[in-house]
Amino acid sequence: MSFILPNFLGFGLLTLVPVVTLFYMSLTNWNVFGTSQWVGLDNFKRLVHDRSFHTAVTNTFYYSAMHIPLTLVVSLSLALLLNTKLRGVAFFRTAAFFPYITSIVAIAMVWNIMFSPDAGPINALLRFVGVDHPPGWLTSTHWAMPAVAIVSTWRDMGYYMILFLAGLQTVPRELYEAARIDGASAWQRFRNVTLPGLRPTTFFITVILTINSFKIFDLILVLTHGGPGQSTTVISQFIYTKGFTESQFGYASAASVVLFALCLLVTLVVFLINKRRDA
Amino acid sequence: MDLSLTAPPAAPAEHPGDGTPSSAGQQNRMTPGRRIGQAVVYVVLLIASVALLTPFFWMVMSSLKSANEVFSVPINWIPDTFRWHNFVDIWSKSDMVTWIRNTMLLSVVVTFLQLLTGSFAAYGFARIRFPGRDVLFLLYIGTIAVPWQSYMIPQFVMMSKVHLTDTLWAIVLIQAFGAFGVFLMKQFYETIPEELSEAARLDGLSEYAIWRRIMLPLSVPALASLGLITFVTTWNDYLGPLIYLRTPSNWTIQLGLQSFISSLYDANYALMFTGLTISVIPIAVIFLLGQRYFVEGIASSGLKG
Amino acid sequence: MKRTIAAVAALAAASLALTACGGGSDSDSSSGSSGGPTTITVSGWSLSTTPEFQKLADAFSAKYPDYKVQVKEYDATNYNTLLTADLAAGKGPDVITQKEVKYLPTFVKGGQLADVSDLKAPDGIGGTDSYKVDGKTYALPYRMDSWVMFYNKDLFDKAGVTYPDGSWTWDDYVANLQKLKAGLPKGAYAAYLHNWQSTVQGLANAQSGADILKGDFSHLKEPYERTVGLQKDGLQVDFNTEKANQLTYQAEFGKQHAATMLMGSWYVATLISQQASGEADKFNWGFAPVPQMDSSTAGTSNTPVTFGDPTGFAVNAHADGAKKDAAEKFLQFASSEEAANMLAGIGITPALINDAVINTYFAVPGAPTDDLSKFAWATHKTLPENPTSDKTAAVQGILGDLHTAIMSGSKSPDDAIDEAEDRFKNEVG
Repeated sequence: MSFILPNFLGFGLLTLVPVVTLFYMSLTNWNVFGTSQWVGLDNFKRLVHDRSFHTAVTNTFYYSAMHIPLTLVVSLSLALLLNTKLRGVAFFRTAAFFPYITSIVAIAMVWNIMFSPDAGPINALLRFVGVDHPPGWLTSTHWAMPAVAIVSTWRDMGYYMILFLAGLQTVPRELYEAARIDGASAWQRFRNVTLPGLRPTTFFITVILTINSFKIFDLILVLTHGGPGQSTTVISQFIYTKGFTESQFGYASAASVVLFALCLLVTLVVFLINKRRDA
Repeated sequence: MDLSLTAPPAAPAEHPGDGTPSSAGQQNRMTPGRRIGQAVVYVVLLIASVALLTPFFWMVMSSLKSANEVFSVPINWIPDTFRWHNFVDIWSKSDMVTWIRNTMLLSVVVTFLQLLTGSFAAYGFARIRFPGRDVLFLLYIGTIAVPWQSYMIPQFVMMSKVHLTDTLWAIVLIQAFGAFGVFLMKQFYETIPEELSEAARLDGLSEYAIWRRIMLPLSVPALASLGLITFVTTWNDYLGPLIYLRTPSNWTIQLGLQSFISSLYDANYALMFTGLTISVIPIAVIFLLGQRYFVEGIASSGLKG
Repeated sequence: MKRTIAAVAALAAASLALTACGGGSDSDSSSGSSGGPTTITVSGWSLSTTPEFQKLADAFSAKYPDYKVQVKEYDATNYNTLLTADLAAGKGPDVITQKEVKYLPTFVKGGQLADVSDLKAPDGIGGTDSYKVDGKTYALPYRMDSWVMFYNKDLFDKAGVTYPDGSWTWDDYVANLQKLKAGLPKGAYAAYLHNWQSTVQGLANAQSGADILKGDFSHLKEPYERTVGLQKDGLQVDFNTEKANQLTYQAEFGKQHAATMLMGSWYVATLISQQASGEADKFNWGFAPVPQMDSSTAGTSNTPVTFGDPTGFAVNAHADGAKKDAAEKFLQFASSEEAANMLAGIGITPALINDAVINTYFAVPGAPTDDLSKFAWATHKTLPENPTSDKTAAVQGILGDLHTAIMSGSKSPDDAIDEAEDRFKNEVG
């Protein structure tokens, strides 16, 4: 316990206490100021019937279903590709991380132009390869979310690549030697050496990636602001709007608790799958 | 204990893609097929880099434009005339020096504390058994899932009670003890064979010494990536400083630039991108210098000692 | 396990104790009684481009030497969030500037604003009703912008179209835009409509007299069909292009990309200063009343209907003694004719408009001087954009989604209106 204490003191006081407060507030009609009345589970009952909340949850899942697998595959591929001593690899690693540190305003600007339905380079390319009616991307209720998922994968892959790179260093090199002596192909070595050796890293990345995509907020805010219509409104935005725009902080807290529960559920499932594989 | 990294000299050239490091020094022994394969990899990487760097390129180019050139239809990639003067103006017109100093201070302190307490706590979670450990750990992960916006008001009220709002301490405190670092380091520690610690215990090392002398050196790649990520997150944070830092002399670079821009009559985005371009430079330098640590860990040969 | 739970419980208890006792003003009560001048704080934003706060503060201190006013600057875009945090922590300013009417009911409900019903606002001042909740007044307006139609006289001349005369209905508006399109040089649109929902809805709500809190949005159908038609016909820049390129209305009108623009009167001061600094082109311009639903409110012999919200000052409920007195005096001063004249002198539209104020306003160098601009500025029936109710924010959220759905071309006005009405029943009801 003494190892945990220094971190736990800070964590407990600065994160856990406010979070526990939030849990309590989800059972009240708190509006930030003054006193609040206990309303029991009313906020949660209201969430069950709130169609905007349903839309936000559906949209968040839809986004996550695209973003999580895509990011896992792309960032792992990048990490494998860049875990070499090729000449210039330092440049490529840095390039992969650049989207993560580029100003989000610049990202929104450039991607909005790229996705522009009539004049954008992406649709120009699609027309060139024979797609007659390319999608409207960020301006279409059907394509806005896929477009957001593409941009966010593009932005995040360098971040997760770094974590994968760190994880790859933990795979004992002797295992590769042994596999090669056994005549294993590159794919077999990947399946039987790299993937099992990466499991703790993959577990970590899957959990963090899931949580982060359930929580997506700032990128959507600058790209679409939840529109057109409600087509890209996600849970975090719902929480922010209910809290800071409509001053229903108790209700917003309840939505946060639901988000928390969803993330915990996914974490537990991944955790159990991981445990079973280990056994 | 032999903790050296170098691969055995006799190792054959390896195929990039199975996760093993390969060395460019062995090109002369490549077959033509390998050579073509490598060329393909380079082409793919180059195309990917263009796609990755385009918005950054646009940002740098915009930093050299005039105010009205930045947002235009159709998009203007290269400015008509390069206004290098923007890079002079930003220093004289705004308080960049103060903002960079504050941001640098915050990022360094937060990163240091996060690495220290995070890896320390992670060792506790990974290697020490105590009642309630798993529940506590799950609680750690769970809080990552709660959006900061939803509990920032209670947190702000607490900080205000102890008069820490509008001080750099507030940002240090809310950033330095995150659960993310604990989680990352714990996962990494679990890949380090328990036998190493056992052997060390038999040699009479204390738990603290095991952490300090075995775990820390073995987890350099994880520490490097955690350090970098923490540094960048703190460097680029906007909402936290916005809520807590009200006095201009406390502003960070992101906050300062935003306020500076919105204080002008017509938001001069060119100048904002000038500032943002400058703010990326320290991160890029740190990344370029530090990136070899992501791959040059010592863990791979750890068991040989 | 048990120990962990106990620890968490203890932390929770501590946190509740800490947050439960919010409120209170940061003003230490030592000042005021000691005999020196009483200092009050006033919240403001973007002080360098919004000079009104400092001007009012200086003028007030000059008039009442016993009081000092300190302007506390907040980030403009996050004003409400930051103010909410400060008020929750009991660190709010003594005079709370009401930037947006829709947040006032929350502040009132949370007990943050003092009842100022006893303060007397000058006769004829606009916008006072926006600050009434359950018959009590919680703020006094000092500024009241309303929406007008800006037009570029040079572009009208080039296109050979006669200037607006104040009699335009929406049909006239469309017909004139078409004439403009035929004659305008390449690169200039007949109109620019910014992407805010208020550009369509604010006028539609005010002129149809609809109450958005009732949940019937059928009155929006015609305005949206017209607006979608305008962008289809190329009379104004397309919503999606506007969003993708993050166009600013200042650059679109100021750089002569559009011959007309519906916008709030705050833009007058911006345009004057941008023309002076060279950020905007030099051209002749003026403004006219916004187009009307029918001829009964159009023309200079009638009173055109438009919309706008006041900006006002409120007193922090936790300010007491000398501070409360000072804050109340400040409110009264800011809404007075004296202050109105001063505000007009820096290009701001005060809540109180009379002949003297009109003369001051239009004497500002760079301001238009034609009679129609004066008429449009001074004569109008201005309905609030945001009715004062704790439901307003939620309804505006729903209507905001409706706006992007229609304007992006994703939904027809009919479908979007149906959906918004459904959502109203489900979420606001």
